[in-house]
Amino acid sequence: MSTPVVEAKDLKKTYMLGKIPVEALRGVNLRVDVGDFLAILGPSGSGKSTLLNLIGALDKPTSGKLLIEGTEVSALNDNHLTDIRRRIGFVFQFFNLIPRLTARDNVELSLSIANVGKAERRKRAEQLLETVGLKERMKHKPAELSGGQQQRVAIARALANDPRFLLMDEPTGNIDSKTAHEVIELIRNLNEQKGVTIIMVTHDQNLSREAKRVVEVFDGMISSDVVN
Amino acid sequence: MRTKDVFSYSFSAIKLRKLRAALTTLGVIIGIASIVALLSISQGLQTTITNQLEQGLAADTLLVSVSTGGAFGGGPGGGGGGGFGGGTGSSASSGFKLYINYTDEIKSLSQDVEASFAVIQQSGYIQNGDAIRQFNGGVTGVNFSEYAGIYSTTFLAESGTIPLSPQDDVVVIGARVHDPRLNGTRFADVNDNVTLIWTNATQLPFLNQTYSARVTAVLPRVGGFGIGGPSDSGVYIPISKAQSFFGTDEASSIIVKLKNSDNATIATVSKLITDHFANQVNVISATAVLSLLTTIFSTLTLFLGGIAAISLLVAGIGIMNIMIVSLIERTREIGILKALGMKSRAVLAIFLCESVIIGLIGALVGIALGWVLANTVAVLFSGGGPFGGGGGLSITPILTPEVLLLALGFGVGVSVIFALYPAWRASKLRPVDALRYE
Repeated sequence: MSTPVVEAKDLKKTYMLGKIPVEALRGVNLRVDVGDFLAILGPSGSGKSTLLNLIGALDKPTSGKLLIEGTEVSALNDNHLTDIRRRIGFVFQFFNLIPRLTARDNVELSLSIANVGKAERRKRAEQLLETVGLKERMKHKPAELSGGQQQRVAIARALANDPRFLLMDEPTGNIDSKTAHEVIELIRNLNEQKGVTIIMVTHDQNLSREAKRVVEVFDGMISSDVVN
Repeated sequence: MRTKDVFSYSFSAIKLRKLRAALTTLGVIIGIASIVALLSISQGLQTTITNQLEQGLAADTLLVSVSTGGAFGGGPGGGGGGGFGGGTGSSASSGFKLYINYTDEIKSLSQDVEASFAVIQQSGYIQNGDAIRQFNGGVTGVNFSEYAGIYSTTFLAESGTIPLSPQDDVVVIGARVHDPRLNGTRFADVNDNVTLIWTNATQLPFLNQTYSARVTAVLPRVGGFGIGGPSDSGVYIPISKAQSFFGTDEASSIIVKLKNSDNATIATVSKLITDHFANQVNVISATAVLSLLTTIFSTLTLFLGGIAAISLLVAGIGIMNIMIVSLIERTREIGILKALGMKSRAVLAIFLCESVIIGLIGALVGIALGWVLANTVAVLFSGGGPFGGGGGLSITPILTPEVLLLALGFGVGVSVIFALYPAWRASKLRPVDALRYE
């Protein structure tokens, strides 16, 4: 069996809220394999966002083990964490596109950060935008695109550097239900046809039903892990 | 991230806030423009004065005048009038007088003295027809042939002729006596009969002495102060006539020509002369004046540069302020960039690059503006301009490569230094915090 994409062992995270320590994660054990489509489900305050930040190498655990692609991240410095992040494709609830850049430039930005040359960058950005069905709109700025379109640009950007997995935070949380459906379709296609591993954090049970596997987080611990 | 990409990303951020960037850049422009303008004018002025000094006071020439004691003890006795020591010998506090026949004593002091002759200078009026004027070059009595020998490039006839053994009633006039406004309105010309008027104030009641003379030559335009040599606004009469007209054998100054112009000769002869007259005379050499001038100008340059640097400092604080605002506004953007895998040093580079762009544009525009400013000021204050003095001092601003590089380096340097802190803060933002920022 190949190396798991993400492997967490007794993962704990405590942060300080003013002077009060808050135990956001109290010992999480999780394994995500290549090709998975995982939904992490939980109400707000359950610790799912903290888990997302850890899996995304945006933050470091207080204790426990966290391996991303077999690399233990808790001991890594800021610079190495950045290297890890380049292997992860982030999709945020609020799209987080750079407003002054066009759709194509937003996708290219991710590639330029990874030192990809101009010509190759452009070619790849255009291909990706075609994949997400936005070839016609690639010269538009985010403000000229609908919420669903913006999220598709964000997905194209997340895919730009051939990530080991996509990490999504409420990907449909900020778009209407009709376009949300299109986005879900796109995500499912990516997983089923292109074999992209997907980890999606949500509080929406309907959305979680689209995933192959649902992990419920409650009070800083995993309360259930079901394959749909 | 590649340098080119960092640059274009920074540029896109600047373009987004054009007005803000323009105002920030304006601070740098003003700072750099004032540095360039002040320094190039001061350097131009230095060059002008140095050139005139070298023209008026040849390296192998010493100027002996009565020591006025006090403040100007060792230095040049003021640049007024037609030369150093423009005042009369009688102003000396000690009562020491420099007489015309001291030239022989001076000549006998050293083998290195080639020639020595006296200059008598008084302020006087000159009348031509109904017009009567006083020129700040004064009326100067000199030996025409000796004077022409030393100031061979400036004491020569532009029109008319300078007689080498002149009759008493001839007068040689400077370019501005000939044409005071340098616009063709003649005051006096060759072969005009003019009247020289001098008020004898050594006795009571004051008495106006006059005599009639013929203009025999007009000097070429020298420009500037006429330090030590012929002045544009000077009137020159034979020394013998000056003696009888002014009723004195007292010299305003004695010009000493040396055989060598090396520093050792200048120092030796200078010392011999001062010692001979028991420290009651000043001996000025071009070398000494030049070194004094250089000292004065380097202090002046430092001072002016310092003033200009303050405005640049203010610009730097403006940059820092704007960068901090920009950093706060773009916290979320920084979070996104870091989540996309941008390294801290690339974030640092992006912010620094923005300030480099601002500094570079500011410096280039500032240099151009400063240069235009310097030339405008030079034109306004030159002889023909509205603020031009009678001396017709023409300044040509000089922009040396050093000043150019200094301005460029300062503009960019100040921008970068003041952007360091905001850029460092941006690079240290934690992605989790930055992404959460609304």
